[in-house]
Amino acid sequence: MDAISDIEVKGAALPAPRHRVRRTPLSWARGGGLSALVFMAPMLIVFGAFSWYPIVRTVVMSLQHTNLVQAPTWVGLDNFSAVIHDPQTPIAVKNTAYFALLALVFGYPIPLAAAVLMSEVRRARGWFSALAYLPVVIPPVVAVLLWKVFYDGSSVGVFNTILGWVHLGPYPWLQSQQWAMPSLVLESTWANAGGTVIIYLAALTGVNAELYEAASVDGAGLWQKVWRVTLPQLRGVLLVTMILQIIGTAQVFLEPFLFTSGGPANATLTVMLQIYDYAFGNSLGGDYGRATALSLMLAGFLAVFSLVYLRATRSWSTE
Amino acid sequence: MSGERPAQLISPAEWRRPGVRFGVGGAQLLLLVALVVIGLGPLLWLAKSAITPTNDTITHPMALFPHGVAWGNLRDAWVNVDVGRYFWNTVVLALGSWAVQLLVAATGGYALSVLRPRYARLVTGLLLTTLFVPAVVLLVPLYIEIVRPPLIHHSFIDSYWAVWLPAGASAFNVILVKRFFDNLPREIFEAARIDGAGPFVLFTKIVLPLSKPVLGVVSVFAVLASWKDFLWPLLVLTNPNEQPISVRLPTIQSQTELGVFLAAMCIACLVPVAGFLVFQRFFLRGSGLGGAIKG
Amino acid sequence: MKSIRLATAVVAAGLLAVCATAAAVGSTKKAVTISVASLIPGSTPAAIQQFNEQVAEFERAHPSIKVKPVEYQWTGPTFAAKLAAGTLPTVFEVPFTDARTLGDNGQLADLTAGAKALPYVSKYNKAVLAEGTDSKGRIVALPKGAYAQALHYNRKLFAQAGLNPNKPPRTWAQVEADALAITQKTGKPGYVEMAKDDNTAGWILTTLVYTLGGRMEQGIGTRAKATVDNKQTISALNLLHHMRWVDNSMGANFDYGWSDINQAFAAGNIGMYISGSDVYTNLVQASKIDPSIYGLAALPLAKNKKAGVLGGGTLVAVKPTVSAAEKAAALKWIDFFYEEPLISKAQAVRNAKTLVANKQPVGVPALPLFNKKQYDLANSWIKPYINVPIAQMKPFLTDIFAQPLIPEPEASTQSVYHALDAVVEAVLTNRNADIQGMLKQANSVAQQAISSGS
Repeated sequence: MDAISDIEVKGAALPAPRHRVRRTPLSWARGGGLSALVFMAPMLIVFGAFSWYPIVRTVVMSLQHTNLVQAPTWVGLDNFSAVIHDPQTPIAVKNTAYFALLALVFGYPIPLAAAVLMSEVRRARGWFSALAYLPVVIPPVVAVLLWKVFYDGSSVGVFNTILGWVHLGPYPWLQSQQWAMPSLVLESTWANAGGTVIIYLAALTGVNAELYEAASVDGAGLWQKVWRVTLPQLRGVLLVTMILQIIGTAQVFLEPFLFTSGGPANATLTVMLQIYDYAFGNSLGGDYGRATALSLMLAGFLAVFSLVYLRATRSWSTE
Repeated sequence: MSGERPAQLISPAEWRRPGVRFGVGGAQLLLLVALVVIGLGPLLWLAKSAITPTNDTITHPMALFPHGVAWGNLRDAWVNVDVGRYFWNTVVLALGSWAVQLLVAATGGYALSVLRPRYARLVTGLLLTTLFVPAVVLLVPLYIEIVRPPLIHHSFIDSYWAVWLPAGASAFNVILVKRFFDNLPREIFEAARIDGAGPFVLFTKIVLPLSKPVLGVVSVFAVLASWKDFLWPLLVLTNPNEQPISVRLPTIQSQTELGVFLAAMCIACLVPVAGFLVFQRFFLRGSGLGGAIKG
Repeated sequence: MKSIRLATAVVAAGLLAVCATAAAVGSTKKAVTISVASLIPGSTPAAIQQFNEQVAEFERAHPSIKVKPVEYQWTGPTFAAKLAAGTLPTVFEVPFTDARTLGDNGQLADLTAGAKALPYVSKYNKAVLAEGTDSKGRIVALPKGAYAQALHYNRKLFAQAGLNPNKPPRTWAQVEADALAITQKTGKPGYVEMAKDDNTAGWILTTLVYTLGGRMEQGIGTRAKATVDNKQTISALNLLHHMRWVDNSMGANFDYGWSDINQAFAAGNIGMYISGSDVYTNLVQASKIDPSIYGLAALPLAKNKKAGVLGGGTLVAVKPTVSAAEKAAALKWIDFFYEEPLISKAQAVRNAKTLVANKQPVGVPALPLFNKKQYDLANSWIKPYINVPIAQMKPFLTDIFAQPLIPEPEASTQSVYHALDAVVEAVLTNRNADIQGMLKQANSVAQQAISSGS
């Protein structure tokens, strides 16, 4: 990763003290060690307690059977086996992949096209940006609940009324096993596409104007300029946004939870929802072993996927 | 943001060609209309329905005040549904998370970038690894940790600290601040050191004033993330009176008539939308920053 | 400089410690404070007012006990969180389905001694008291209320559809016919069923199956056998399928949960639905129903020896980590607030008066916690204060006591319901749902849950 070497090159440390004294605790403290520790402390404590320790615990808990009444017992790979054999797991995996795929199809090219158009707007581009980003600032819960009202399946639901004007529908939206997931993706795209547009816009400003001029001189038309200059220049951003989007949508929770609770008939059950069910779905206490096992499996998959992705796209993103 | 840089893809010469002007211009106009209808439309509907009687919203959702306006919805939302209290909870949660994140990122970034103790490399490496661990991995053990903290025999369920403290563990923030400090010219630190400034004075008098831009970005991210947070507050704040608005809204839906409920949602949107309109630059610049980091 | 600062810090810490100890020593009064579950969050101010008045009355009678009301609603995830964190109020409520397991796991206080000291403990309905007794025979919870599933119907829609509101359907064929009539004449769904993924879909399906004579389990404990794919379940699902796809009398929304369906009914948008016989309270408190539209009938039973009505209820329990003084205080509160109104005329009348003064429903049909005689007696005491449309509930009250009451499936109840949720949803949202196949799968999932004791 370029970023690591980047960090190491810039910014050398403050010069070390001249005298090479023996490192006693006092000399360490006086030599800046104590103050450095004081500054590092908030970060170390917070990360240690709420990031690093839990990561280790996830691995440990996935190999244990934990109920909060008795002490945890070691069960080896039983949790992983139980998760794999749970009939709902393949459904959850399939649905999550479906959501990620649909989200990619809708949420990836459209913001790009919009951003390219927007970057060429001569006046009042701010209006475009603001309108595109507005859905992103709405609290996600409000967006979902609002769209849930829109998606009412009766003929006087908002969307059904509008479609009724052009003699379409009424459609069942969230009440149908076929329509439920696409409905979720539609709302998710509405709520998030604006962010992607802004990212692309920012990247487009980084495209070297001379390249366009050179292309014009070579006689390239508009489409060719987009294809030959814009897209290649945006490669880095495009690849990063794609992998970030995939990682994000693989962990989708809010939409299936609030829209359909994973229904109807598990049509919108995702992996995150399955983890939630394992851990928090039972009023008598959750199966934390299975929940952590599935979390690890998801994280493992994303890690492998990212590595494969980076390797495959390495040749495309470097120039 | 508007009119910041001239368009580049289409040269002035091309723009003069009618084909291009009408084609691209038409597409841009279409885009604008689409943005208004799709981006703004749902929110306008929400605002309209917030003050429409429930019955009208149910039977004729697209009509415009067929039986007059129901300002009472807003009053009911504020008084009966008590939107104000949940709104205040959201603010308190956001402020606390913001403070913790600023503290951790500023001190951590400073220590890693400027003070550079011997173990800085190790810590930076750990942070980078953390950056690539998806949030799902943390969920269950963090929850157990809040419910039964290992050393302290007192649960943090229903305490705002359960939300504030874990929010500080954002590797992204620390890396962002660290990189910013890395890019500050070292001469400033040298000069201050020669003048006898110790690490604390260096931090408060030199580094902090210079870091307003990056702390601004961190702040925007922090407040936004807190405002959007749903699953974590849902899990750790079981007392309804302490819940932020995002957690409370779904549960009260079945006890509230539609008109009042929509009014409550409308009120919940007001601050983020107003904040966005006022601080547009920060939002849009900050979000673009994320994309400027190439892979 | 540093040493002075250090010294100051030490002195300050010392002072603080002294003050804290003094405060602790000074507060050895005899007052015991307990927190108790009050109303569900979002209740009307009037409801909260009446609860507070009852608290005040209790504190007057027991000056050494202070009671702190805590809003409380039993939902699966939040209950588990509070239970694990130990932040439940001292006195809280649990459904019949969970009490035994919680007791066995040591998560409820052992109330046997205190309960046996109550004068009326022997008068409890044995089956009801058994729900609050764990497998070691310890009483871990006392009954708060029992209900039977019932058919709630909208009298106004019945009238509009040309049906007699005083003659609700008595067979499932009549339910189908009435639902169709309502849909055709009023445009509103005639019959709606809970179909949300939060176990309510499975709960109502089990109710239907019981009325046809089927059972979801055989045996008890982890050795029980799941029998969800029995003949009656298939009949029930076929009935739903017919109403949904052929008659189209079930409306367009199939994700109603317990509170949503109440809300929709109170708004006048549902002809009939099944839920506990005591939901009228929620209809009044949360949804401000117009009382004139409300009708209550007993569920139609098939002509099958094993046909019966699913019964359930709520128990009240005490946190296990309380001192003896707190437990005694908790029992006194339980006695005062939950049990006395059913046994003592004076208390029943006082209770009723407070409820009426705050416009809360009095007289909602419940099932006897003691024997029928006591039940009739208690009802006669509050008769003058009944402010619910009791005449409209006559069909239920006439029939219910002749119907066999069947407890919910004993082993892993909520998990069994959860396994059935998907089947109900599939039938209602997919015309070509493979009922047999899905039931087989639901059965194996239910069996797995039962065998693992979850």
